[in-house]
Amino acid sequence: MMLRNTRLATSLLRGLTLSILGLALTSPAHAADPVSLTLYNGQHKEVGDNLAKAFEAKTGIHVNVRKGSSNQLASQIMEEGDRSPADVFYAEESPPLNNLGEQGFLAKADDSTLQVLPKEYVAANGTWIGVTARTRVVAFNPKKISEDQLPKSVLEFAEPQWQGKIGFVPTSGAFQEQAVAIIKLHGREAAEEWLTGLRAFGKTYTNNMVALKAVENGEVAAVLVNNYYWFALQREKGQLDSKLYYFTDGDAGGLVTVSSAGVLKASKHPKEAQQLLAYMASEEGQRVITNTTAEYPMRKGMVSERGLKPFEELQPPKVTPADLGNAEEALDLERDVGLL
Amino acid sequence: MLSGAQPARFTPTRKRPSIWLLLPVLLLVGLSLLPLLYVGTKAWQAGWAEALHLLWRPYVFGLMRNTLLLMVGVTVTCALIGLSLAWLLERSNLPGRRLWGVILCLPFAVPAFVSSFTWVSLSASFEGLGGAILVMSLSKYPLIFLPVAATLRNLDPALEESARTLGQNRWGVFYTITLPLLWPSLLAGSLLIALHMLVEFGALSIIGLQTFTTAIYQQFELEFSNANAAMLSAVLLVMCLSLLWLELKVRGKGRHIRIGQGAARRAEQVRLGKWSVPGQLYCLALAVVGSGIPLGMLVYWLVKGSSAAFPMAEIGEALFSSLSLALGGAALCLVLAVPVGLLVVRYKGSLAIWAERLPYLLHALPGLVIALALVYFALHYVPALYQTSALLLIAYALLFLPLAQAPIRTALNKAAPQLEEAARTLGATSFSAFFRVTLPIIFPALGAAFALVFLDAMKELTATLLLSPTGLNTLATQVWSHTSNIEFAAAAPYAALLILVSGLPVYLLTTKMYLSR
Repeated sequence: MMLRNTRLATSLLRGLTLSILGLALTSPAHAADPVSLTLYNGQHKEVGDNLAKAFEAKTGIHVNVRKGSSNQLASQIMEEGDRSPADVFYAEESPPLNNLGEQGFLAKADDSTLQVLPKEYVAANGTWIGVTARTRVVAFNPKKISEDQLPKSVLEFAEPQWQGKIGFVPTSGAFQEQAVAIIKLHGREAAEEWLTGLRAFGKTYTNNMVALKAVENGEVAAVLVNNYYWFALQREKGQLDSKLYYFTDGDAGGLVTVSSAGVLKASKHPKEAQQLLAYMASEEGQRVITNTTAEYPMRKGMVSERGLKPFEELQPPKVTPADLGNAEEALDLERDVGLL
Repeated sequence: MLSGAQPARFTPTRKRPSIWLLLPVLLLVGLSLLPLLYVGTKAWQAGWAEALHLLWRPYVFGLMRNTLLLMVGVTVTCALIGLSLAWLLERSNLPGRRLWGVILCLPFAVPAFVSSFTWVSLSASFEGLGGAILVMSLSKYPLIFLPVAATLRNLDPALEESARTLGQNRWGVFYTITLPLLWPSLLAGSLLIALHMLVEFGALSIIGLQTFTTAIYQQFELEFSNANAAMLSAVLLVMCLSLLWLELKVRGKGRHIRIGQGAARRAEQVRLGKWSVPGQLYCLALAVVGSGIPLGMLVYWLVKGSSAAFPMAEIGEALFSSLSLALGGAALCLVLAVPVGLLVVRYKGSLAIWAERLPYLLHALPGLVIALALVYFALHYVPALYQTSALLLIAYALLFLPLAQAPIRTALNKAAPQLEEAARTLGATSFSAFFRVTLPIIFPALGAAFALVFLDAMKELTATLLLSPTGLNTLATQVWSHTSNIEFAAAAPYAALLILVSGLPVYLLTTKMYLSR
């Protein structure tokens, strides 16, 4: 009896040790065999996953996707430095890549990739590319507010009559880009006033989908979001109560922003990483992405097939990704007014 | 059979613990100091002026307000529910009280972040502070109800009866006699709940209440491991360690001394009479809101989601990841818990005292801060561990060691060192003496400890979110990522699996432990 127990105990212990060792060794970094890439994905989960699948189907190169927020992953890449396991970084916005590019963490994209995209939507130093474009909009619920009650300028939402009626997402990168655009167009004081007003009268949400669903359910009259969230919800539900409102005359409310991507200098597989970047700019890659999320394809000559308001009809302010820089001012300003 | 070999006069062959005992304990002490070290390093890097600037601002005051209101609100509500329920089910003649006891512990089976998503999916009006207090109270009250009920059951009724014969009415007896006797278990449960409120992340994030823990995660999402996150962590650590200190102070006091064993008999039951209807309604209401709504909503979303067909491959993958991580975590916990237990039970000295206090210290460390510290130190000092499962397992071991500690220590107390000494006099090495003598004795306790850790690790969310290797999803992180996009139907199958493989067994184990008569 004793002997059997002892044997059982020893073999159990041995099993445990082995299983710990086994688990410790099953890190993806050890998948050494054929080349596999690591994509740090700050863009929506589905977009990164579908892109990775399509790329693997075409090239046979496997892509591990690590999902995080764009800001988090950018800071993570800086902290990781040379040791970064990432090969390609795909962000929902341009500022994180702008920041990395300026600080020397990104390799220059292949010329053949840069050439197929409009000049104003790639980095001046060629370290990152704009992948898709989208516009800031207001999603509103006609049961709570009529379209003609909506303001001509997004700045007006900071006024007291919007108490409890306007929602926004202070942690969203696109919101921060919008704040920078306001700094560029109207100055820092105006931006601070705008954020202070929003903090006082608006409702904050944890992410854009949550905010949009709050409008759809009538919890809040209007929210500041990107256009494609509405199309995503429409695809899920079929018919929506809420509608989109586009700002005109170059108001900051209609800012066009881009999702963007770049290859890391620290990449162990630069050739394959450039191949992935090229695929993201290719006709096939752009279609995979814009079929998953209703954004505007960036590649010259391509248009969206998702029934969006045509890109040429938008009247965005003249603020380019280069003007937006690294959007750090927005984060500082948000902290100053107590939003973060 | 071996106990006959015990010598009349026992002299230990070894006064100092062997290196194999010291190593794991030192490792654990070192690891548990990492969060403090992390906060210190980051503050030093930022400079104290900047650190103070980051902390002394209205935003942080708001976090403090939310955190304290939540903590007090939930703890008080839980104490009221737990106490009243314990009295009703232990001291009254309420019909069906045994069944109610089993039903009203069901919240144990539902992880807090799952029940909060079911409430939020019911209506957005449950978001915010009020909703958070409601949902968290309903999910945590068994932590007070069970120990208080157990104490109440084992109280010697003689004291209360004496008080009555001396002219006190029922309420007087309750206030002057019963409540003071219940105080230790009530306080211990309350402190535990307060601690849970400080470190809770998933549930509060889903409900949309900003506390220190959710704000730290937000800072992580904004800037990875930055000075802001570290400074907020410092405040959270101070709050958690103060609660720990309070608990240690309280633990020593409040002992009630009694001479003689007393007769083992049950207290007289209070006949409820016409009050039995409100009593039943109270239990029914608690059951409906406490477990009926969460489980009902979950079934609703399951049925609704099944029309879209479950993504079987993904669900299977998440289940496998959860199972294997929890297995590994539980195994690592045992490997570390046994030396700690041996050191506490068999040796004296400062290290043994440290080892003794270790589980309490670990219990008070917020998982999110442990994870942040591990990310930081792995990245900068042990890059081989960065983004590996091994690092996550270390986090699990730190988080769940306190669970494994109790059963292992009790068992080790029973395994007399003399038995091992006898084996050694018969020629066994110290290792084989341990394996052949002590291990078989503590084997059942190891099993229990393994099960406890395994079941709890299955539903771990916070550390898993920060530390999991690229591309790895567990049941908990899948529930989390779907609910944060309000995809309730998509989250439902993962949540249901979590309840089946982790929640229900935990529920059965816990209620069996407390409710067995």
